[in-house]
Amino acid sequence: MPIKTWELDPNFKNEIMSEAGGEHLASCFQCSTCTLGCPITEIIPSYNPRKIIQMSLLGMREEVLSNPDLWVCLICQTCTARCPQDVRIADVLGVLRRIAEREEEAGNLKIDSPRPLFDKAFQHQLKKFGRLYDMGLAMEYYPKKEGSFIKGMLAMMKDYKDFGKRMFLKGKMGPLGGGSPVKGMLASKIKQKDVMKKIFEELGEGGKEK
Amino acid sequence: MSVNKLAYYPGCPSEGTAMEQHMSTEAVFEKLGVELVEVEDWNCCGAAEVEDPKLLYALNARNLAIAEKEDLDIVTPCSICYYNLERSNKALKADEALRTQLKGIDSSLDYNGKIKTKHVLDVFVNDIGLDEISSKLEKKVNVKVAPYYGCYIGRPPETAFDDPDNPVLMDKLIELIGGEIVPFNYMKTVCCGGPLMMTRGDIAFDMARKILDVAKNAGADCISLACPLCGMMLDGKQADIEKALGVTIGLPVIYITQLLGLALGIEPNKLGLNKNAVDTKEILGKVV
Ligand code: SF4
Ligand code: SF4
Repeated sequence: MPIKTWELDPNFKNEIMSEAGGEHLASCFQCSTCTLGCPITEIIPSYNPRKIIQMSLLGMREEVLSNPDLWVCLICQTCTARCPQDVRIADVLGVLRRIAEREEEAGNLKIDSPRPLFDKAFQHQLKKFGRLYDMGLAMEYYPKKEGSFIKGMLAMMKDYKDFGKRMFLKGKMGPLGGGSPVKGMLASKIKQKDVMKKIFEELGEGGKEK
Repeated sequence: MSVNKLAYYPGCPSEGTAMEQHMSTEAVFEKLGVELVEVEDWNCCGAAEVEDPKLLYALNARNLAIAEKEDLDIVTPCSICYYNLERSNKALKADEALRTQLKGIDSSLDYNGKIKTKHVLDVFVNDIGLDEISSKLEKKVNVKVAPYYGCYIGRPPETAFDDPDNPVLMDKLIELIGGEIVPFNYMKTVCCGGPLMMTRGDIAFDMARKILDVAKNAGADCISLACPLCGMMLDGKQADIEKALGVTIGLPVIYITQLLGLALGIEPNKLGLNKNAVDTKEILGKVV
């Protein structure tokens, strides 16, 4: 597909480079080391971090931000470790995900992946309890992902039926597991929950600094 | 030995899916004569789900500040917690304005950059040292092991403490306790797929299966590892992977702290070896 030069956003690279993690974007010399070592490319041959970097440098803002591939990166850091130009691709992809999320919140983009929902549900547990509460995370994530409470519960049961039982039998989850009578069913809460609230209100999603 | 007391950051999975890693870490340090002081009222490090750097630094600043008050360096058995603690520590040490901003959010985030953050593998091999550990060994763990390192031990470069392509710290411990390393080099550092478990389970299963397959075909009795997310994928979900992909694997997956604990003569249940999802009895039979 030819690039429509009139649709390019020459400022996109500066936008990325002004965010923490995106600073080294312009050092890329397109050697493709990142793509060749990427474990996702091995599974999805069209997945190409080099190309995402080049499209970003060219200013193909919309194509880059709406690319569903942004959401299958494992943040495994293989690309970053091998890049001869210290581009820190894993961090650059993180910056692109954050910009995409902001665009979605502003109503300019629809992200084609449940991952932002998962990350948000995870963060909500930390904001509330200070630690990860698996059950709370699942109860928030599945209904949002599936679009309704019932569908969400069914999907959750499917995923957790065997795994949950296994963890229960090992005393790691469920009403009698984990060394306390209700471990896993209740959240493990920290005492200074107020600090978590302050942190997220200042720096979290939609926080004062955002 | 250059270390006798450390702050201990267990991480969220220590309370559930990775209890055995937590139990074995505490037991091993006790046996090695290193006192662990749990970071009081610790909070989650943000795992892979908090991507915003400043938010992540704030979460970790609180834990770092608690350990700093005790004047202790922090050790954690979880590779992801380590990565988050270490990169936050680096960022906070280098940036006074950031420290001031975080302190402004709450006084509990007042961290002065005075402590170090470490992964257990680093502490075992580089701080306590193989000679010291060797002098305390009571048993030979006569098993063939595929040492699996995953992502955050050898990369990214700013926080890595082992070689990115061929990490060796776990290999050294396994050889020290009488184990044999099977040919596994090219799989040592390939991601387990864990970060995609909840959003692209198909990819995650595919990735974890590859690691299990290679280890099994190499003749391993077990995989050893040092990260609770890898543990959940390779051990906790192994039966789900077998079912979903129509394969039989049945390969025990054991935290390095558990293997080391066995060699130190610690009782298996104290190391949580009855908590691994894939049965570990065969491995226990090879401890002599
Ligand atoms: S490895 Fe680095 S320099 Fe090479 S294409 Fe990827 S980002 Fe660019
Ligand atoms: S961090 Fe993402 S892009 Fe880089 S190698 Fe891993 S999966 Fe591929």
